[in-house]
Amino acid sequence: MAEIRLKNVTKRWGDFVGVQKFDLDIADKEFLVLLGPSGCGKTTTMRMIAGLEDITDGEIWLGDRMVNKLEPKDRDISMVFQSYGLYPNMTVYENIRFPLKVRKVPKDQHDERVMKAAEMVELKDFLDRRPAALSGGQRQRVALARAIVREPTAFLMDEPLSNLDAKLRVSTRAQIKNLHHTLKTTTIYVTHDQIEAMTLADRVVVMNKGVVQQVGTPTDIYDKPANTFVAGFIGSPAMNLVDGELRDGVFEAGKVRVTGLPTTHNGKVTLGFRAEDATIVPEGGELSAPVYSMELLGDASMISFRVGGELVSIKAAKDYRAEIDEQVHAAIPAEICHLFDSKTGARLGA
Amino acid sequence: MSGTSMIARRRSRTLATVSTLFLITWLIVAAFPFLWTVWGSFKVESDFFSRESWLNALFGVYTEMQTGAPFTGDGYYGAWITRDFWRAVVNTAIVTLCVTVISLTIGTLGGYALARSGHRYAFWILIAALVFRAMPHITLVSGYLLPFFELNIWGHLATSIVVLVAINQPFTLWMLHSFFLSIPKDLDESAMVDGCTRFQAFRWVVIPVMWPGVITTGLFSFLLAYNDFAVTAMLLSQDNQTMVPKISSFLGSIQEQGNVMFAVAAVVSATAPLFLLVMFFQRQIVSGLTAGAVKG
Amino acid sequence: MPHKTFLAFILPAVIAMLLFIALPIVSVIVQSLYVEHEQVLEEVENCGPFGCTTEVRVDAEATAALKSADPLGRFNGLGTFFNRSHLAVSEIGVILADNDGLGDIAARIYNLPFYKALLFTLSYTFIVTPLGMILGFLIALSVNSVSQVLKGPVIFFSLLPMIITPLIGSLILFWMINSQGILGSALQALFNDPTLSLKASTPLTWLTLFVYGVWTAAPFSFVVFYAGLQTVPGDTLESAMIDGASRWERVRYVIIPHLGPLATFVALVQLMDNFRVFEPIVGFSAEANATSLSWLVFNDLQGESTQLFGSAAATSLLTIAGVIVLLSPVLVRTWREFSNKA
Repeated sequence: MAEIRLKNVTKRWGDFVGVQKFDLDIADKEFLVLLGPSGCGKTTTMRMIAGLEDITDGEIWLGDRMVNKLEPKDRDISMVFQSYGLYPNMTVYENIRFPLKVRKVPKDQHDERVMKAAEMVELKDFLDRRPAALSGGQRQRVALARAIVREPTAFLMDEPLSNLDAKLRVSTRAQIKNLHHTLKTTTIYVTHDQIEAMTLADRVVVMNKGVVQQVGTPTDIYDKPANTFVAGFIGSPAMNLVDGELRDGVFEAGKVRVTGLPTTHNGKVTLGFRAEDATIVPEGGELSAPVYSMELLGDASMISFRVGGELVSIKAAKDYRAEIDEQVHAAIPAEICHLFDSKTGARLGA
Repeated sequence: MSGTSMIARRRSRTLATVSTLFLITWLIVAAFPFLWTVWGSFKVESDFFSRESWLNALFGVYTEMQTGAPFTGDGYYGAWITRDFWRAVVNTAIVTLCVTVISLTIGTLGGYALARSGHRYAFWILIAALVFRAMPHITLVSGYLLPFFELNIWGHLATSIVVLVAINQPFTLWMLHSFFLSIPKDLDESAMVDGCTRFQAFRWVVIPVMWPGVITTGLFSFLLAYNDFAVTAMLLSQDNQTMVPKISSFLGSIQEQGNVMFAVAAVVSATAPLFLLVMFFQRQIVSGLTAGAVKG
Repeated sequence: MPHKTFLAFILPAVIAMLLFIALPIVSVIVQSLYVEHEQVLEEVENCGPFGCTTEVRVDAEATAALKSADPLGRFNGLGTFFNRSHLAVSEIGVILADNDGLGDIAARIYNLPFYKALLFTLSYTFIVTPLGMILGFLIALSVNSVSQVLKGPVIFFSLLPMIITPLIGSLILFWMINSQGILGSALQALFNDPTLSLKASTPLTWLTLFVYGVWTAAPFSFVVFYAGLQTVPGDTLESAMIDGASRWERVRYVIIPHLGPLATFVALVQLMDNFRVFEPIVGFSAEANATSLSWLVFNDLQGESTQLFGSAAATSLLTIAGVIVLLSPVLVRTWREFSNKA
C-alpha cells in the first residue's frame, strides 16, 4: 500500500495534447475518481499510471519508486478494464488465478487466495465456467476478483460499470465501495458518470480536454464548482448557467434579475444556480418567463424556461402543475447563486 | 390477396427459377472439369483423348480392350512408380509443411506487433508489404537465380522453403494483422498488468484465442507453397522437384511417348489434397477470404 | 508498444522480406544493366592431307572461364531496355517513320515480343477482372436468394477452381478443350468443323485463356460478395421496400453501394493477381499465340545453358513498373489519407 504521486505528467501524440501537466498526490488508501467527458484524458492518465501508455513528460511515483520506465508487470498494480479483458480460454478459477501463476506466487497459496477473492465478489458457484457462459455482471465480478486476488499497491478501474445495465450498476457500485472499505487499497477509478463519482469518491478530479479542472471532495465540487465546465458537468440536471451583466451587485439578463449579490465585480458574467435551490413562487421572484416544458419526475416536477439561448430548469414540488406557455415566477435568491467570469469561465469571488 | 402482390409473387418465383438454373449451370462449370478428369484418369489414353467419340471416355471401350477392365490404374502406376512421382510428393510435403510452419511462426509475431503498435512505421511496413505482395513471383525469381548460383545454394529444398516463406510474408502479415485487430487490446493489457511480459501475454493469452485465425492463415500459406510454380520450377534441381514442376516436366517428355495419362494421373493426385482441404476447412477458407476483405 | 519490443517481434518477418523480396529487386536492377558475355571465338587451322583451312569456332573453355570470372556479364547500361526484345525504341521509330497507316503500325508493333506480351497481359487483366467480379456477384446474389439446400454445394464446388494450382487447373481445362478432349470435340460437332482447334488461332487462344481466367477468378469475388451480402443492413433494405423500391432498385441503391468498398478490395487483389498471369500460358501451351510479361521472364530464364539474365531482369523491371502503375491509385490515396491524418 502506498501513495501515488503524479508530477507534471504530460502525454502528447504529435501536436495533439492528451494530458496536460497533470500534478497530483494521491494519499494511501484513498479512493480517487477521475471524472470527465469522453476524450478528456482521464483514461490516458490511468493508462500512464498502469504503464500501458508511454509518458511524454513528467514523473509518476508509486510509493518511493519512480515508475516511468517500468513495465506494467513491474509496477505492482492491478486493473479492471471497461470490457473486462477476461481470458476466454480459461475458466473463472483460472482467470482469477492467472496473476498468481505468472507472478510465481507459491502454488500452495493459490487455492486459498482464489477462493477468498471469489467469495468477496460472490462468484463461488461459477468457478468452473468459462467467461462466455457468464452474464455481464458476473464477468465484471470475475475482473474484480482477478484484480483483488494478489493484493497490489493500487487498483485502477477503467469505467468498470459502463457495460452493465442501470440496475446492476447501482448494486455493483455499492459492492465496489464496500470492497474498498474492506481492503483499504489505494484506488483510482475512471468514469464519465458523475453519480458514480459522487457516490464512490473520497476525492474527485474533474478533467476536460486533457486539463485538470478541479480537484476536491464530492461536496466541494458540487457546492463550489471551480468553473463553468465543472458547474455544467456535475449534478443532475446540471447547474443552470445564464449569461448577463453584473453592475453593483445586480445581475441582469432579460427575464432574470438577481439583486444583492455579494461581489464588487462589474461587467459580463455567467450566473449559475441549481434547479433544486430555486423555488416557484406565485408572483415576484427573480425570474419571470413562460413555461417551455414540464416533466414529471415522480418525486418532483421539473419546469424549464428559455432564457437567452439556454434552457433553465427549476425543480418544483411533485404536485405542482403548469401549462406550457403559462407565465411563471421563480425565486433565485442571491445566496444560491454562483458567479463565473464570462470569458474564462472561472469562478468569481468566494 | 390483391393483384399486385400476385404479380410480385409470380415474378419472384420466376426469379427464383432463373437463379436456381444459373447456379446449377455454375455448379457444373465449376465442378465438371474435376469430375471428368478424375473419371478419365482411370482410362487409357485412347479413351480419354478419343478420336472417335467422347462416349469412349465414359464407358472405357479401349480401356476394356487393352486392360480387360473398364477402369485401370496404369496411369497412376506409371506416374508414381515408373516416373518417380512419389518423390515429388515427398518433396512437396516437406516444402509445404516447412513453409507453413515457419511462415506462421514469424508471421504471428510480426502480425501481432503490427496490430498492437500505434506507431507510424507500422503503417509503412504494411504498405510496403502490400507493394511486395503485388510483385510477380517470377520477377523475384529472376533476381534470385544468379546470386544463388554464385552462392551455390541453388537447387536445394531449403532454399526454396526460405524463399517461399519470404514471398508468403506480406500476405501472412496482412491477414494475421487483421485477425489480431479483432482481438480486444484489453486482453493482452490485462495480462501485462497481471504480471506478464509482452511476449508472455502474446504466448499465453493472445495465441490461445487466435487459433482460428492462425489455422486460416496457415491454410493460405499452405496453398501458396503448394500451388507455386514459378519458384519451385526455377529454383529446384531435377532430383528435388516438387509436384507442380514435376508435372510440367512430364508434359515435355511424356507427350511424345504417348503417356499423357501419367500426367493426368499426376494431376489428379495433386488435386486430391486440395479437394480434402476444401472439404474439411471450407469454413476457415471462407472466413479467411472475408477477413482480409472486410477489414482491409 | 515500445520500439524495442516492436522490433523484436517484427524482425524475423522484416528480415525475410528484405533479404528475399527487396534485395532481389535490387539484384534485378543490377542484372538488367549487364548482358551476357560474347562467346570467345578462336581461329583454328585444320591441316589435313589436302592442305590447311582456317575456321572460326567457339572456344568453349575460354567462354566458360570468362563467365565464371565475371558471372554478371558485360556492362551494357540501359541498352537491354531499348533493344528489340524489350522497348524496341529504334524499331518503333522505324515503324512510325515508314508505315501504311494505323493498322500497319499496330500489326508491326504487335510483332515485337515485349509489346505482344504487354498487350495480352493488359487485356487479360482488364477483361478477366471485371468479368470475374460480375460473375461472382451474380452467383452471390443468386445463392442469397435461393434455398439453403444449394448453398453448401455451391460454396464447396466454387472454392475448387479458386484454390486449384493454376498450372493444374489450366491443364485440366486444356485436356478438355484439346481437339480430342470432350469440349474440343463437342465444339467441333457444334460448328460442324472437324479441323476446329482452339489452339490454332490467336483469338480463340485468347478467348480460352480469358474463360480460364474468369473460371478461377469468379469464386473469390463470389465468396467475398456473399459475405458482404450477409452484412447488408436489414433496416435499410426494409425501409427501401416500404418506400416502394423494386427488387432491382434495392440491389442498385442499397446493396451495390454497401458492397462498394468490398468491390474496391476485390478489384485490387484481382488486378494484382491477373497482372502476373503466367501458369495458364504454360498449361495451355499457348505461347505461340499469347504470351505474358511473366512468361517472357520465365522463357529467358529457362534456357538450359544460355540463361538470359540481363534480358529477364529488364523485363522484370518493366513488369514491376507496371505493377506500381497499377497500384498507384491505391498508394496515392493511402498517402493522402495518411498525410491528412497526420
